[in-house]
Amino acid sequence: RLAMEASELWVGFVGAGRMAGGLVRGLLQAGKVPASNVLASAPSDKNLDAWREMGCRTTHCNLEVVHRSTLVFLATKPHILPGVLEEIRPAVGSHHIVVSLVAGVTIQTLQRLLPPWTKVLRIMPNLPCVVQAGAMVFSRGSNAGDEEAALLKSLLSSCGLCEEVPESYIDIHTGLSGSGVAYVYLFAEALAEGAVKMGMPGALASRIAAQTLLGAAKMLLETGEHPAKLRGDVCTPGGTTIYALHQLEKGALRATVMDAVEAATNRACDMAKD
Amino acid sequence: LQKIGVNFTVSNKDTVKSSDVLFLAVKPPIIPFILEEVGPDIEPRHIVVSCAAGVTISSIEKKLSTFCPTPKVIRCMTNTPVIVREGATVYATGTHADVEDGKLLEQLMASVGFCTEVEEDLIDAVTGLSGSGPAYAFTALDALADGGVKMGLPRRLAVRLGAQALLGAAKMLLESEQHPGQLKDNVCSPGGATIHALHFLESGGFRSLLINAVEASCIRTRELQHLADQEKISPAAIKKTLLDKVKLESPSLSVASASKVSLFTSKSKKN
Repeated sequence: RLAMEASELWVGFVGAGRMAGGLVRGLLQAGKVPASNVLASAPSDKNLDAWREMGCRTTHCNLEVVHRSTLVFLATKPHILPGVLEEIRPAVGSHHIVVSLVAGVTIQTLQRLLPPWTKVLRIMPNLPCVVQAGAMVFSRGSNAGDEEAALLKSLLSSCGLCEEVPESYIDIHTGLSGSGVAYVYLFAEALAEGAVKMGMPGALASRIAAQTLLGAAKMLLETGEHPAKLRGDVCTPGGTTIYALHQLEKGALRATVMDAVEAATNRACDMAKD
Repeated sequence: LQKIGVNFTVSNKDTVKSSDVLFLAVKPPIIPFILEEVGPDIEPRHIVVSCAAGVTISSIEKKLSTFCPTPKVIRCMTNTPVIVREGATVYATGTHADVEDGKLLEQLMASVGFCTEVEEDLIDAVTGLSGSGPAYAFTALDALADGGVKMGLPRRLAVRLGAQALLGAAKMLLESEQHPGQLKDNVCSPGGATIHALHFLESGGFRSLLINAVEASCIRTRELQHLADQEKISPAAIKKTLLDKVKLESPSLSVASASKVSLFTSKSKKN
């Protein structure tokens, strides 16, 4: 087996949409892979312009991506994928590492539609990969070994948190973090709105709301403390914070959030079955 | 109480005369009348400890100062589990109570559970939390037992298991450095039974209900204190209704005369 240095890697993307763009942006920003080693394919130029601007090479031919890459990311829309896999199947060899970003398509399906020797991995990223603060989980297929997992993890850690998990966690990750980013945006918007109600200008309120979330998350990650403890640390007896928290508890915020994660996870499961 | 050897009298005056530490354990509206009655017998050596909810140190000191220039007053708030020596007690010392007086009380009350000194203005909050707390726990236990019974357990067993679960959890928390949130997480295996149950609790606003309860109890304590300060309750009305109640409940209690009945026993410490 050839040990692969990331810098010698030829990386291809079949599909060049938002998520793929986020990943490649992260990879390039972190200097993991030179842009000239990246080739992306898409049906139209609409998305590819942005890739060219980053210094990547582009094509309209999926087969070309497979021929000229060792690490191939599949980033098409779910209903397109089966057709694409049929198309590229003849060109897939045992040296390829195929990583699917496609929501709802299981490893079982991928392995069924690709040659039996293919090293397949499935990843679920989230949007903040674009700013190198993503949360990604991946699982390996039958032929993907420790080397492939380690390579993927080392490459993608440049985009944020990247952990290997059993495939059953991938839908949960969707509910927690894939969609979770949207819950945070909603919360940030509401925070700012509260401030505006109390008299603060909107733009300032939005920036402060975002910084508050960022700072709190940073403290969570860096201190490793339990969120309940950090929450308690902020609550002086009879002070402003505990009054506010009481309002949140009255609104059953916790249960609502749990409901949201559950709904998104279940929906991901349902969609995968389709 | 007599069975365990406590001396009993129907005379409040006798209780005061033969005590050094005097616990006033009557209902809050009665306190002013008790103080009037026993005031003349209060001496410098006495430590007057009031357990009456909502009765301030300053109101007691004010009443007693007509009889004694520097009365030692300590206000405490405890709770019913002192009965099983697992009480939660806080105390605040009055103007003329020394550090040793506080420490003496703390020693006494620590023998029946947890005891610590606090600033007087926190006592209402303590009432809301640990004063009323056992009632919240009894309610929870009753409901937990119902849950057990619904799912097939015999009542007695359900009650026993529920109580032990709360006892065990409380003990774990007291003996652990960990935050209750962390201890909760430790019980919740992914996708397991407990996390499903907790989701129900959260959906019902369990946490906010408990916060509401503590807040309501605390606020009510303050209200009652306010009412008492204004002496809104007519003294004559109180005396008569309570007297009637005592006669009804303890026909064996001899009533020497209307003004001399000890409505409640006081704990006493002999010289």
